[in-house]
Amino acid sequence: MQRAQVTTTQPSLAPARKRRGWRRWTALVARGALALAFIATLLLTVTPTGRAGVRAALILPALLTATEPPPLLIAGDPIRHTQRSIASQDGPVYLDIYAPTMPPPPIPGTRQGLLLISGVGDNRGVPQFVNLAQSLARSGVVAMTMTTYTLMGYTLAPATVDAVVQATLALQHTPGVNSRDVGIVGLSAGGALGAMAAADPRIRDTLGFVLTFGGYFDATNLLRDMGRRALMVDGKLVPWQPDPVPIQALANTIALTLPGADQSLIYSGFNTINGLSLSPADQARLSPAGQAAYHLLVGDEPDRVAANLAALPPQGHTLLASLSPSSVVAQIHAKVYLLHDQSDIYVPYTESRDFAAALTRLGHPHEFVEFSIFQHVEVKSGLGIGQTLHDGWSLYQILVATLGAGA
Amino acid sequence: MLILSLIWLGLGVVIGSVALAARLAPVGRGRLGWLALAPGAVAALLGGWLGSMLLDRIEASLVAVWVSILAVSVVGLLARRQRGMPTVE
Repeated sequence: MQRAQVTTTQPSLAPARKRRGWRRWTALVARGALALAFIATLLLTVTPTGRAGVRAALILPALLTATEPPPLLIAGDPIRHTQRSIASQDGPVYLDIYAPTMPPPPIPGTRQGLLLISGVGDNRGVPQFVNLAQSLARSGVVAMTMTTYTLMGYTLAPATVDAVVQATLALQHTPGVNSRDVGIVGLSAGGALGAMAAADPRIRDTLGFVLTFGGYFDATNLLRDMGRRALMVDGKLVPWQPDPVPIQALANTIALTLPGADQSLIYSGFNTINGLSLSPADQARLSPAGQAAYHLLVGDEPDRVAANLAALPPQGHTLLASLSPSSVVAQIHAKVYLLHDQSDIYVPYTESRDFAAALTRLGHPHEFVEFSIFQHVEVKSGLGIGQTLHDGWSLYQILVATLGAGA
Repeated sequence: MLILSLIWLGLGVVIGSVALAARLAPVGRGRLGWLALAPGAVAALLGGWLGSMLLDRIEASLVAVWVSILAVSVVGLLARRQRGMPTVE
């Protein structure tokens, strides 16, 4: 009888013991998860780097998908868009300001300001550019975009550097913005303008950082690459076919230093298919300097690039130097971030390599990242997951560094 | 802000549930058993609002998480002390 009792009680004890063991493991795992979540969320909110990481994590999908992701729309600040213009040596500077509607939070008490320069053309309504400014504003940053008539007319002028400086000063004096936590983000030609403004004595000691994405370093080298339709990569010439837009911008810019008759011929010879094309009769009407500029832009005399560069008028050489960050690189005090896509057909990625090499020689703090998920400054479509993750991680690290720059 | 508040409440309920599984929160009994989730939910809501006022809306959800975890842990500890139970199993 007793033996029978033992055999009947044993099976009922075993599941109870198993349940207790399972509960104990569940409790341990749950406690571990809570501890991990507590430490992670605490660090992400109380440390400036953590807060920059949170913002970067919400902005990154917006950059990669060119749309504002739902988490940013729900969790981000409501924003307001205002427009104003200020005076500069380059005429009126048109500013579009995207800012949170709420005053700065008590911690840290001020907001970061970012000046976005989109390069040549009127990009104020370009969805990807507006999306970038709005995403930054939703994450708590005051994002200001700027342009001038010169830039909108696909032309580069030294006076535009003053426009960038004036816009930076305006952003630094915007209520709620920490004047020492203002950075310049220059896209394409805007990168070169931003880098030159960063060397200006009016802002170089107060600027948080300057970031150039797809920018050039030396306008003469850019023209040389255009003239030979090839890039010098690790000592070897690699074919390179530029987009018509940079050809137009350089044509408009150089034409200003040519005789009047050349200017009108160069302007009228531009077309959107190959950038510049003149009839043999019109080519013959150009002055020697005009012909040199024409062949450099068209790229039909790759073996005579050095001679054609030498044939440019002295004002042309002066202008190219005054439009080059290479001429002022030693005067930049802020940290420099260089981003460039390797397949860029607007500005060769070798320009950013040269910029990084110059900064390394100077011992200047900088970071340089080469991507392959962009075309110039816009995200390509149909990307592989591996490449997106690799470049996305690099972009995330740059975002964390720049968003936490002034913290 | 209404959607965010609901999200924070939801986060608090999830954290309360995990705290129950972790045997940190006091276990509710009978028909009012769901009240055991209340401390986590209320703390998350308060934490979210506090985070949005002190930091920024973008960081408020994370503040809601750690405030809620802290609250359920402290409430659980106090409840165990009051019942004379060991604070650590």
